[in-house]
Amino acid sequence: MRNLVVLGGTSHPDLTKSICRILTTEESDVNIGRFSNGETSIEIQGSVRDKDVFIIQSGSGHINDNFVQLLIMIAACKTASARRVTAVLPLFPYSRQPDVPHAAVATGAPSITTKKDTYTYESAPSTPRPWTKSGFDFGTPPPFNLGVNSSSGIGAAGHILPKSFRAKQDKPVERSGERAAERASERISERSTERNSERSTERLVEKSEKSCDLAKPNDSGYKKWISQNGTLIANLLMTAGADRCVTMDLHDPQFQGFFNIPVDNLYSKPLLKHYIIDYIPNYQQCVIVSPDSGGAKRATSIADAIGCQFALIHKERRAKANSSGPPSAPGPLGTRSAGGFSSTSSVNNPNGHQLVATTMLVGDVRDRVCVLVDDLVDTSYTITRAAKLLKDQGALYVYALVTHGVFSGDAINRIAKSSIDKLITTNSTPQKTHSEMLGDKLVVIDVSRVLAEAIRRIHNGESVSMLFDHGW
Amino acid sequence: MPASQNNIKLLTGNSHVELSHLISEKLNIGLANVTAFQYTNRETAVIVGESVRDEDVYVIQTGCGEQNINDYLMEMMVIMNALRTSSARRITAVIPNFPYARQDKKDRSRAPITAKLIANLLQTAGCNHVITMDLHASQIQGFFRVPVDNLYAEPLVLRYIKEKYNKDDLVIVSPDAGGAKRVASIADKLDVRFALIHKERQRANEVSRMVLVGDVKDNVCILIDDMADTCGTLCKAADILMDNGAQKVIAIVTHGIFSSNAIEKLNLSRLDKIVCTNSMPLADKLQKCPKLEIIDISPILAEAIRRLHHGESVSYLFNNAPS
Repeated sequence: MRNLVVLGGTSHPDLTKSICRILTTEESDVNIGRFSNGETSIEIQGSVRDKDVFIIQSGSGHINDNFVQLLIMIAACKTASARRVTAVLPLFPYSRQPDVPHAAVATGAPSITTKKDTYTYESAPSTPRPWTKSGFDFGTPPPFNLGVNSSSGIGAAGHILPKSFRAKQDKPVERSGERAAERASERISERSTERNSERSTERLVEKSEKSCDLAKPNDSGYKKWISQNGTLIANLLMTAGADRCVTMDLHDPQFQGFFNIPVDNLYSKPLLKHYIIDYIPNYQQCVIVSPDSGGAKRATSIADAIGCQFALIHKERRAKANSSGPPSAPGPLGTRSAGGFSSTSSVNNPNGHQLVATTMLVGDVRDRVCVLVDDLVDTSYTITRAAKLLKDQGALYVYALVTHGVFSGDAINRIAKSSIDKLITTNSTPQKTHSEMLGDKLVVIDVSRVLAEAIRRIHNGESVSMLFDHGW
Repeated sequence: MPASQNNIKLLTGNSHVELSHLISEKLNIGLANVTAFQYTNRETAVIVGESVRDEDVYVIQTGCGEQNINDYLMEMMVIMNALRTSSARRITAVIPNFPYARQDKKDRSRAPITAKLIANLLQTAGCNHVITMDLHASQIQGFFRVPVDNLYAEPLVLRYIKEKYNKDDLVIVSPDAGGAKRVASIADKLDVRFALIHKERQRANEVSRMVLVGDVKDNVCILIDDMADTCGTLCKAADILMDNGAQKVIAIVTHGIFSSNAIEKLNLSRLDKIVCTNSMPLADKLQKCPKLEIIDISPILAEAIRRLHHGESVSYLFNNAPS
């Protein structure tokens, strides 16, 4: 194709190659490296003057590195007189910024990366939280030794994160946040390792005096909140000089509104639909399940498109007042409520009242094949919990269809040991190591054809909307 | 109605908490309860634990880390974006070592002017003012549409030299032609002689041939530069100076990056001592390198923050070092 230049970042070279093959074009040469001081260095080899440039970079792996890399590449192309620069982000970084927490330290990704032998898939929604001490034993670093940690900067990837957290531990002013995080981690450990539940409860009670709850107003009457960086990412891309964005299954469709440039949000729905129709036997009899209420719309649209039933798992966390005693034994109670099956587990809140977590299945799945549909699996807490609930309610077989498989932390190990029988995801992020670890359990759908077709159509000025319905 | 109170809030990123604490001690202001962290998927987020509405906020973050320089950069932008969202009156980025400062020109085809990009990104993230130190090229100030206060470590360096060395047998040496101006200014203020090493450089971070201009025989040479990265230049310069009969060679740099095997090189080199500021975290390198010495820049940063907050002139700091 004339005047088309496709550049690839380091996040997902296989996808770039595959897209270029489909477009029957050569991937342009870019040298991406680091200077000795860690700064990203970009050298674009071929000319881009007056070209239509597409830069493919997924929001996976070392996200900030990859994102800065993308920004520098965009800026380099712009200063080198490219006619138009399109950022192709199969998985949009920072798209799933968690909601403002209503009851917990944070929603989003919990951070246990140690491999465990046993996992419990309790039907209580977890309280994901920032980096805590649970996964890493930092000891007690003396104050002001942070320079040691942060300046060395070298090390295994896994060591980078705790390092930054370690730095925080020394900051006295942030003690309350850390305490809250600690407390949350203990809440988790209480749930996840039942053996230790008594001990951690004691610890919780001990801590209850000095803890301050994030959800509660602190002394100053200020409610803590966690930043949402969606607009920032959009603004940064525009600042770098992107003229257009192509992405896939944005977590929030509103994200498009953050941009002042056109954003083409492609859908993996046709691909997922084809998988269901082609590979699931008696697919008309299966039940499409949304693992949380947020994904209900996505799941119903697939259910409608293939004409099968739909069920929904609803989780909620409510504070129940005036129960000051020790918490009842955590675990699913399997009560039958009016709406369907629900399981409840309660966690003692240091403030004296119980935090009741309920997961409820709305719809009937007994003796049926279930297909869980979600757009993104990160820590896999939601989806593995949902799978367990479905199996508990008599589901025969559980498929999980996920567009973006990030699988951070120990997600893969959780999934391997969970009730999910088959996990289907796309290669919007690199899945090679994941499929090595999961083997037959993981099926990877190729999205390079959809992206390549979108690139072709954008380049030729054809309509992209046809891809929304039919896939490629 | 009286104008609303407008307080200083000091915030720190995770890149150089030690320096933030030093500044916070000097100003006698605690660090605000704002914590940046990473999720397991490595996205950065920040917990804002106290109100910054209508406050004058200073975010301290330096450009450092061989593996996570971009993490710290994103962290700073995420923090500033969060502050802007929470209605801070003015957000000042305190960046002792400006990241990507060396990629400041289009020196070959299709080279990115990353320093300009970083300037644009910081402004997009919501920064209203920048305090930095010894920018590699002071023209980087022009990349910003917001005011940039480029502080100098020079007063501190002058004081250090005056305290430690007798100026009679002193020669200030610039390791390359680019630093000649900086070195000449220091030599003038100390009223000592200066020399220059001319180097023919083929590629970045690689030094080929060096020629000494000036006489250093039996003198104490002080090499002065704005940054020491791989230290190839400094070590070679020390060799040349010693070969030309220098009594001993000391290097003073503002930003001690010391990447890759710089520390080993320094230990083996003929440099008597290397002095740098704590614009970057150096605690582990101090242990590994007995020749390394630190000049504390927190007084100058703290004073700049104080002056900026009260609307006083900052130019005093260009020539005078607060203690």
